[in-house]
Amino acid sequence: MRGCSSVSEAEKAPSPALSRTLSRLRARVFPSPTPVDSPAPLAGEGRGERARRRQQDLTKWAITTPPFVFLTAFFLLPFLLVVAASFRYPGEFGGLAPLLPLLGAPGKDVGLTLETYRFFFGDLTYAEIFIRSFLVAGLTTLICILLAYPVALLIARSPKKRRDLMVLLVILPFASNLLIRVYAWIIILGPLNLLYTPYAVVIGMVYVHLPFMVLPLYTNLEKHDPALLEAAQDLGANGWTRFWRITFPLSLPGIFSGSALVFIPVLGMFAIPELLGGTGDILVGNLIKEQFLDNRDWPLGSMLSIMLTLAVLALAGLAAWAARSRRGEA
Amino acid sequence: MKNLSPQRTRGTQRKSFYSVFLRALCVLCGSLLFSLSRADDVLHLYIWNNYISDQTAQRFEDYCRCRLKQDYYSDNEEMLAKLDAGAVGYDILVPTGNAVEALVRRNALRPLDKAKLPGLKNIKPEYRNAWYNPGNRYSVPYAYTVTLIGYNKTKLKELNLPTDTWALIFEPKYLEKLKGRVTVLNSQRELMGAAMIYLGYDIQDRDPAKWEQAKELLIRAKPYWATFSNSTYIKDLAIGNIWVAHGYSNDMYRAQQDALAARRPFAIGFATPREGAVLAVDNFVLHQAGPRPDLAQKFMEFMLDGQNAADVSNLIGAGNPNAAAIPYIRSDIAGNPAIFPPPEELKRLQMIRDFDAKSRRTLSRMWTEVKVK
Repeated sequence: MRGCSSVSEAEKAPSPALSRTLSRLRARVFPSPTPVDSPAPLAGEGRGERARRRQQDLTKWAITTPPFVFLTAFFLLPFLLVVAASFRYPGEFGGLAPLLPLLGAPGKDVGLTLETYRFFFGDLTYAEIFIRSFLVAGLTTLICILLAYPVALLIARSPKKRRDLMVLLVILPFASNLLIRVYAWIIILGPLNLLYTPYAVVIGMVYVHLPFMVLPLYTNLEKHDPALLEAAQDLGANGWTRFWRITFPLSLPGIFSGSALVFIPVLGMFAIPELLGGTGDILVGNLIKEQFLDNRDWPLGSMLSIMLTLAVLALAGLAAWAARSRRGEA
Repeated sequence: MKNLSPQRTRGTQRKSFYSVFLRALCVLCGSLLFSLSRADDVLHLYIWNNYISDQTAQRFEDYCRCRLKQDYYSDNEEMLAKLDAGAVGYDILVPTGNAVEALVRRNALRPLDKAKLPGLKNIKPEYRNAWYNPGNRYSVPYAYTVTLIGYNKTKLKELNLPTDTWALIFEPKYLEKLKGRVTVLNSQRELMGAAMIYLGYDIQDRDPAKWEQAKELLIRAKPYWATFSNSTYIKDLAIGNIWVAHGYSNDMYRAQQDALAARRPFAIGFATPREGAVLAVDNFVLHQAGPRPDLAQKFMEFMLDGQNAADVSNLIGAGNPNAAAIPYIRSDIAGNPAIFPPPEELKRLQMIRDFDAKSRRTLSRMWTEVKVK
């Protein structure tokens, strides 16, 4: 008992204000359904509260550790390998040149180099492909939003028992392979004289990524409280105002997550431009694939994918900053 | 009592589920044991898709009383990458010349025991002793393709265009009549190689100034092409969407047969341009880590037999380096100079050799420029 009370004293030691800030911070890092930022526990209920909290912490660890380990093992480490590869020389027949001179032939390119980066920034050809890819990805995302919004709204406003069927229909195309569906577009677009044009690439991209926009939008729209719309109607708002002032602002998180799910995969997609695109339709994905398969220049391919990751991160950062500054205004 | 009956049904259901499950497990274990007991007599091939006919495979299995297991790749690079990543268990690989060279340099191949391969005498002298394999120490040539021009015979006759020159896919004066009806390979070595050949250079030439000329040639011709295509041109030619395609002889043969089978109102032809072309020879080699070199050599000797060797030509229209196979090959295939280049034409064919990393990078940038412009 003595030990316990001393611990509880130690926990109570920081000033109430500080501990409140700390617990609020914790609540933000680990959001939990029960409010954590309650005032410091009273002496009487301290023990049960602490046990409960320890239990909670344990649960948090149990829940967050596996994804953390997974992401470290399958995202962070491979990414660091890619970063390391971008500073190496390409191997003679693909792969990487040896790191240590004694393992390779003397006088050959071994060790680390900035050559690949110099090569990339030395001419505008690659930047042009990056810009073009971002334009295609942006256009695809925009069209996906325009097409997906009415569908998601329709599903969200349908009677409950019909919704599941409609969601099932949205994800039904995944039942067949991506390449088969793209090949089907070859048959459709051929007679329309659209095959092997930039339009075909955008059509293919929109088609493949549309469900990734519909689903997050639907999950968002489904949660809207109809009472809000009724209240607005009672106050005299017409249909358009109700949509624009209530539904749309509330659905922004759905639009953002859908956009991320569409924009980023489009940048890496190489099958669609290759099958549907014409002679000028090369995107970053094709460029990276080419370095690894046709050209066997792993460092260049690694560097290009790092550049792509950085560009996407920069864009995401920019969007987050814009959203925050707007929220600040409001 | 009434309450009990559904439970009992559920009980029996569960029991029957378990019994089915157990029975399935037994079958699975049994088949696993069975396959393990036969495991020592399996030959593993890592090979291009659709490169050995089922009948040939069956015949070999009967002959050696073993099993033939095939894994497929669609690209030399894919195979090299998988082996580099440590794939083992393959006895035989079927790389193209430049990939044989890569494998030899990596010490990934086992030398052939020629005493066990008397059939090597069947190989035509011009396919023996290739640069990638002096004295056939490591490889047995199996089949080859020529990268050439396939075309819609009927349409080109109508337009009065020549069919035996690379000018058809490079010169605007011809391309004007073919705008949007031409595909070229999406491969920098193949397409740049064709341009180099058209310009009268060697494809092994590393002079950047010559490659620059080739690049300019491609950029000038590009607006007339429909797309870069490595496989869809077979179908596009066969249904008439595309009139001229740069591609492999065996693919052109397939497009020709498909168009025939579908009774199209036109015919597909293909010919080696008179300036020359790229030749790709695929070879059987023994992987260093292969567990059964004995079976593998048996297989190679089996495939050197004329009748067995002929299958690959009859099946996919590939060229055949085996002299003993010629009598067994269908005459329309054996007599096609685009599939079986006559000796004087063979001299104009060049094989692609790998460039060093620096040249590859320079070439890749030119290729990217071609794509962007």
